[in-house]
Amino acid sequence: MLYAAPMSFKGSITTMATASKDHVSLESSYVITAKNAIGISAHTIKGNGYKLRAGNIFHLRRLMRKNAVSSQTNLWLFTNIGKINIKKNFKDKDHSYLSPTLQFDYETKRLFSLFSHQILRVGHENFDTTKIEGGFSFYETGYNETQPWFILKAKNTNSLFKKIEYTPTLRLINKAIFMDAGITDGDPSLHLMYTF
Amino acid sequence: MKKLIVIGVLCFSANSHALTQKIEVLGMVCAFCAQGIEKSFESVKNVKAVFVNLEDYFVAIESNDENGIDENFIRTVITESGYDVKKIEVVSESVSEIKRKYESK
Repeated sequence: MLYAAPMSFKGSITTMATASKDHVSLESSYVITAKNAIGISAHTIKGNGYKLRAGNIFHLRRLMRKNAVSSQTNLWLFTNIGKINIKKNFKDKDHSYLSPTLQFDYETKRLFSLFSHQILRVGHENFDTTKIEGGFSFYETGYNETQPWFILKAKNTNSLFKKIEYTPTLRLINKAIFMDAGITDGDPSLHLMYTF
Repeated sequence: MKKLIVIGVLCFSANSHALTQKIEVLGMVCAFCAQGIEKSFESVKNVKAVFVNLEDYFVAIESNDENGIDENFIRTVITESGYDVKKIEVVSESVSEIKRKYESK
């Protein structure tokens, strides 16, 4: 239930979808000011005998951005409020939840890095998620060209996965289109994002 | 022949009134993020052409008249797209000339 900081420019709408063996999600957000976006999202996640289904509204706040000549550094706060259904051992229950995420990222035209931590506690369950990502673009491209990146993603979600998931990813960016195609333990995953 | 001369004069006249502003932008490191700048300026009535250059971190805007685009407005658009303005200057080249210069590199 983490996002790739889907904040574009004021007045824009960003829609994204993620699909993998264990996680399917769809979300859309609208940038209301230069630092604030609101959106809705829906997720299904399964692992370690759990199956989670969640729907939420969220607020994305850009807490800090440092623009340098050739780099950008950001600190984001995501706040999700929604309903989640947790199914395990043939029992399932609905809960309301509030889940904050703090994300830090740094990028240049050739380098990318990200660290995020999401707190998601529902009843006695702890689904906190930590993500670390880093990578590089194969070469520099012009504004209208497709830029390919290699990104290595590492993710740990409490309760759902017993070990850290590593996902080597090919990222392609072409203006309004952003695509991640990765492999996690032999299973493919796809993440698509488009800004209108 | 007369028609060609008239068209030529009109083209020269149109270009002579256009003004190009070059804006050096801080933090403009990816096309996915920078598209907001292009879209925002393209929707401005007085703007004739926009060129986003990631290589040298600038945006060039050509307006339809010699007044150009108000610098405060430019700063607002850039800031609302998530970036900061380092410098704004008027340049003698048109946007198509700047584009050609980079395409031929």
